[in-house]
Amino acid sequence: MRAAHAPTTRAGFLEATGVLLVVRDPPPPAPPAPGQPPMVPGNPAEGVEILLAVWDDGSATGLAGKVDLGTGIATALGQLVAEELALPFERVRMVLGDTARAPNQGPTIASATLQIAAGPLRQAAAQAGAWVRAQMAVPPPSEHPVEPDYHALLAGRHIRLVLDPSTPLKPSTAWTVAGQSLPRVDIPAKVLGEAAFVHDVAVPGMLHGRVVRPPYAGADHGDFIGRTLRGVDEGSIGHIPGVVAVVREGDFVGVVAEREEQAEAAMRALRLDWGEWPAQPPLDDLAAALSANPATPRVVAEQGDAAAANDSAPLRLTRTYVWPYQMHASIGPSCAVAHWLGPDVGPGADPGDLGAGPSVPRDAHRLRVWAGTQNPHVLRADLALLTGLPDVSIDIVRLEAAGCYGRNGADDVAADAALMSRAVGRPVRVQLTREQEHQWEPKGAAQRMDVDGSVGIDGRLQGWDFSTCYPSNAAPTLALLLTGRVAATAQAYAMGDRTSVPPYQVPNLKVTVNDMPPILRASWLRGVSALPNSFAHESFIDELATARGEDPLAFRLQHLGDVRAAELLRATADKAGWQPRTAPRQRSDDGVILKGQGLAYARYIHSKFPGFGAAWSAWVADVEVNKLTGEVHVSRVVVGHDAGAMVNPAGVTHQVHGNVVQTTSRALQERVEVEPTTGAVASREWGSYPILSFRQVPVIEVVVPPRPGEPILGAGESSSVPGTAAIANAIFDATGVRFRQPPFTPEVVRAALNPLGDATAAAPVVATGSTDRSSPTGLTASHGAEAIVAPGVPSPASGEGRASTVPGDRPTAPIPPSPWADEVPPSAATTLPGAPRTKPLWARAVALVGGTVAALAGLLGWAASRPALAPVAGVHAASTYTAETIERGRQLAALGNCGGCHTDEGGEPYAGGRRLDTPFGTIVSTNLTPDPTHGIGRWSFSAFQRAMREGVSHDGRHLYPAFPYTAFTRMTDADLTALYAYLMQRPAVAHAPPPSELRFPFKLRPLMALWNALHLHPGPLAVAAPVVGGLGLAAATPDRAATIPRPGGIDPTLWQRGEYLVNGPGHCGACHTPRDALGAERTGAAYLTGAVIDGWHAPSLTTAHRHTLPWSEQSLFDYLRRGHSPLHGVAVGPMAQVVSGLADAPDADLRAMAHYLASLQATAPAAALPDHAEITRLAEAAVQRARTLAPLPGATQRLFETACGACHQDGGRAPVDLGLNLPLALNGKLRADTPDNLLRVLLDGIQRPATHEIAFMPGFREALDDRQLAELAVWMRQRFAPDRPAWGDAPALARRVAEVRGTPRVDR
Amino acid sequence: MTVAHRTPPPSDLRPAPLTLELDGQRFEATVPRAATLLQVLRNDAERHGPKYGCGLGGCGACTVLVDDRVARACVIPAHGVAGRRVTTLDGLGTLDAPHPVQQAFIDAQAAQCGYCTNGMVMATVALLRRNPQPTDHEAREALSHNLCRCGTHVEILQAVQLAAKRMAPHRDAGMAPSPTPVGEGWGEGRTL
Repeated sequence: MRAAHAPTTRAGFLEATGVLLVVRDPPPPAPPAPGQPPMVPGNPAEGVEILLAVWDDGSATGLAGKVDLGTGIATALGQLVAEELALPFERVRMVLGDTARAPNQGPTIASATLQIAAGPLRQAAAQAGAWVRAQMAVPPPSEHPVEPDYHALLAGRHIRLVLDPSTPLKPSTAWTVAGQSLPRVDIPAKVLGEAAFVHDVAVPGMLHGRVVRPPYAGADHGDFIGRTLRGVDEGSIGHIPGVVAVVREGDFVGVVAEREEQAEAAMRALRLDWGEWPAQPPLDDLAAALSANPATPRVVAEQGDAAAANDSAPLRLTRTYVWPYQMHASIGPSCAVAHWLGPDVGPGADPGDLGAGPSVPRDAHRLRVWAGTQNPHVLRADLALLTGLPDVSIDIVRLEAAGCYGRNGADDVAADAALMSRAVGRPVRVQLTREQEHQWEPKGAAQRMDVDGSVGIDGRLQGWDFSTCYPSNAAPTLALLLTGRVAATAQAYAMGDRTSVPPYQVPNLKVTVNDMPPILRASWLRGVSALPNSFAHESFIDELATARGEDPLAFRLQHLGDVRAAELLRATADKAGWQPRTAPRQRSDDGVILKGQGLAYARYIHSKFPGFGAAWSAWVADVEVNKLTGEVHVSRVVVGHDAGAMVNPAGVTHQVHGNVVQTTSRALQERVEVEPTTGAVASREWGSYPILSFRQVPVIEVVVPPRPGEPILGAGESSSVPGTAAIANAIFDATGVRFRQPPFTPEVVRAALNPLGDATAAAPVVATGSTDRSSPTGLTASHGAEAIVAPGVPSPASGEGRASTVPGDRPTAPIPPSPWADEVPPSAATTLPGAPRTKPLWARAVALVGGTVAALAGLLGWAASRPALAPVAGVHAASTYTAETIERGRQLAALGNCGGCHTDEGGEPYAGGRRLDTPFGTIVSTNLTPDPTHGIGRWSFSAFQRAMREGVSHDGRHLYPAFPYTAFTRMTDADLTALYAYLMQRPAVAHAPPPSELRFPFKLRPLMALWNALHLHPGPLAVAAPVVGGLGLAAATPDRAATIPRPGGIDPTLWQRGEYLVNGPGHCGACHTPRDALGAERTGAAYLTGAVIDGWHAPSLTTAHRHTLPWSEQSLFDYLRRGHSPLHGVAVGPMAQVVSGLADAPDADLRAMAHYLASLQATAPAAALPDHAEITRLAEAAVQRARTLAPLPGATQRLFETACGACHQDGGRAPVDLGLNLPLALNGKLRADTPDNLLRVLLDGIQRPATHEIAFMPGFREALDDRQLAELAVWMRQRFAPDRPAWGDAPALARRVAEVRGTPRVDR
Repeated sequence: MTVAHRTPPPSDLRPAPLTLELDGQRFEATVPRAATLLQVLRNDAERHGPKYGCGLGGCGACTVLVDDRVARACVIPAHGVAGRRVTTLDGLGTLDAPHPVQQAFIDAQAAQCGYCTNGMVMATVALLRRNPQPTDHEAREALSHNLCRCGTHVEILQAVQLAAKRMAPHRDAGMAPSPTPVGEGWGEGRTL
């Protein structure tokens, strides 16, 4: 089918044969419309615009300048073309938005595509259809459905018709293809995973780019824009392979690399020196910020004298409504591919042959950009400005992108890609990150609406004085600002007037629009200013009705002159079962859930004032408000929607559904958060900007009036406009409290319902500054909400209401007893069985003297304080040792995790080179492979044995005790032999790790003799099983152990084996025992009581400082074998690596270690070992208790639920089931004394889980700032470890986050 | 290994051989250890279904199945699932032979922009495998962390039920899906 392979350029169409074209001259430039979305006139050099091509195989291509944003216009426009041409729908294809071939019809905004922009296309199709019928001399197809012979008519011919704007169109009453709910043409490819989006474009030779945005996220005007970057340290990414270029111009920075992950790594690592920039205006009091923003008042409607009418009225209300900054929040961050083509590349030489028009000189540069833009021709003009190329040298190939609903980062990223491709001369794909899209997308503007209105003694509206502040412009494309190509001035647009005139008949009316420049970078978002304006009008009319004691529906209908509107409102209310009421009903079955219903009506008036009316829309919303938590659930929405004739009724229904869900989300929970000190946008991910989830989606019913023969009206946005007021009005009906500032979050609603007490309502809530002069009740609640007491209904603000609810920190449900109550306090006095002994004082004294002598000897240059042991020529381990011995050695290497320290990141196993940061300097692990030069290939067994037992190298030099020979000294000769055998038969690796770098005086190796004298107990000593405290610490022979009684279920043989493995090869104390000032493991009561290692806190393995449930043998075994225990959580950080290493250790050895370690959990010397079943019961109680004590909902709870909830669901199945979803209420990191381990996991995630059963976790380092992470940690502690003391307040914790963030990461 | 806090270890960017069992076929590539499964699927395995949405596993646009379990490809290092079974939207079905869940999404017209569709379909496939007849509540829970900004939730939930109905063992017709006319049971309410 030829329509499926249409030419990619205008020239291609104009040169084609076997075609009938309908063309038009580019329309003359529109009159200047300052303050409106930019339009660029067509360039006459490009010749005529093509609207339609009918091919000689009976297929047709329609061309339109509008683009499909998921609204289905590709389908609907195709239906209109098919209808007018009398072609089967399947034979029509649409081309949308490509600048090289589609007409210039301006941006796709204002729901105007079908209503306005489809006109020329329909006429072109009608004209072509008429031409075909005339050629065939047959009657219209509706009378004689004869299939024209397109081949006979068109083959070999090129027929060109100039659009006749007087061509009549088919009335919608005669439609057969249009008017049907045909399936969307684009959905199958999307459902099947075919390339459908700009994100899927791949061009041969394509590179990957990332941008690095400035720190002033969301600011777009001021002298500092484009002038803040002082320097770029390209050396900071010198280590990253594949980097092709760093592109810098002004404050624009991009990195280009061969592979995407390389570009991403470079983006993260690139060090930039940013200068100072001024803090942006605070937005915690939006109403004040909007009042303070410089404004130009513009009166758009005035009749009578509103001020005088209000002054004389018996009922007058003065209200302020405030709308927050919101996001487009496209699900896919913007993406584009740009290809800068040199002068030597002809149009036919590049893939796709999408060359520019014939007017482009062959010796010029050209640029092609694949983009998801909503404004292809405007983007092309921007790119011309940015690059200096003439517009005809630039092609914008428009592809679908994630839904946008206004103006997101699609144009920004296209310009970014253009700059980067120009710099490298190759195609570059640029993908914005989620954080960049969230921070920099032009926001939907905040808005302040003030209404001063009145009702006369006749009960009719008397005065309506409305003013609105709309701080927005068109959001100039970012690269133009960052490069300084366009001055970053504070420009005001005149777009605050959409639906600014109330729909009600009022004799004295004044509507003032305060045009003002942006505060945050802003543009248009679905409903533009109409949505906030309508929120104010539709809340205010409800307030007047209540003040009058009239039914809100009846009161509206009294004043609604528009018959179609009144009909729709009535029908919608009927469908919803509207009950007349004259006051808030505050219905409740249980005293906790309050039910309400509210309605609102609006018609979206778009485009330059006075604009065009799109579809009519009315909402009736049902809500349920939880009086205790403040949660609002929109349970059902009935929407009336009158869009005139519908080209695709199902498509309209889907748009209405989408508008309802999105608007409910915006009303209930959406507000852009800014960083309090700088004013930069702080919402970088979904947790800090949560959108509605499936759990919250209301039941939606759509009421559609049949309107045959009526004009087509825009349906893309209309049903969003009245939504928020309907919800606010419903909340008022449920609670008697009026909310004038969305979002209606639980904390805001709770605070208003319980004005006298709720300690948890910490989220900033902004008063709207309501200047109430004639409130009928005189009651004004804080937080922008006002309570109205309905007669006979107990108000939640009244004493009676409070008495029944007692709002406080937490709901007053029965709380199970704490399972932690029997937690053992740190028992420092008890020395644990198996703990290494402390040397007698005399031994220390002697050693001190000897050590000092040795140290002096070292200082005097006696390099080796111990003799070198003779090297061996080469050990043929495989022939010398039995396979059993070597296998045992392999297991011991696993138990000792030798490879963990002796393998570098990405390096060969056992070849050394891993750096260990210690307080004494950096130690680099050595090569343990049998390489004769760099490894231990020439070490005799005796040398190996001495190193393991005494910490002395084969050449007599002392080793540093980062090598845990103080533990390995316990290993038996047989085990050392096995380990030696295993290591010596491994492949030799000729790798020389760099030397260690210790600080003075620690760099003096002979000092180690002194250290050893103090801390080393050389030799394989056995320890008996414990009987009573302390007794078991005496050295005992294994045979004596058999005679020891076996209290508490201890198996002496197993215990001794475990003790040996834990304290010998396993060297658990190296991490879990605190160290003294000289870096030695402390002894006695400190044994295994927890320590900090590599920035991680290795928790206590005894009862001291243990804040988790007791460890049973089963839990310990699970943890060592599988890396997790449901009663304790997962192993992370260095312990994850240990568990990975233990994969090679046999179950029996891990069982023994678990048996021994479990004995350390005994609360008394002869007590029984912890019972797993009993601990499990405690665990269940703990989880239940934490759940019962959960803090009331708030912003941080939403952050956790959104950012973490995919994998962490308390008490339910996690939607992401690759992973474990262990109860966080049992997690040791949340119960620890310090937040460090939690913070490390939150910052860097889990990249290398210990075993396959454990999934991966992302790090939130770039997505959440110190404050947000601190608030998250505070909340998680409160939620999951409510019995543990707080780690500190959020500011203190934020400082700790900064410290942890800044310390090196150890992720092996 | 200790590294500067914002710099991934250079060796992470060193390529290493990787094998996956991808959509029923052996897939081999040499890719850096720092590459996410999503990046490898899109850039090396030429899959288009999984989409980059947030990079934090929060939105679900990148959803794939790993060993038949719902996984977020954007937070998984590709080498972290070496040798394991990975299923993508691309591998579920074709235009001629779509997976029943894909057919249900087409028939219910359960996409607006379609960027989240990959995750919705994959999560539904996994849901119906473990729970062939989910209630509306169960479907909402299973999809609760797949975000959709267009507001296609109603149609998506209808697609889940449509797929469940068709995939249920039929008394006589086995699993043969019967095409449903567009609009059937969409709950769009009556007209005036």
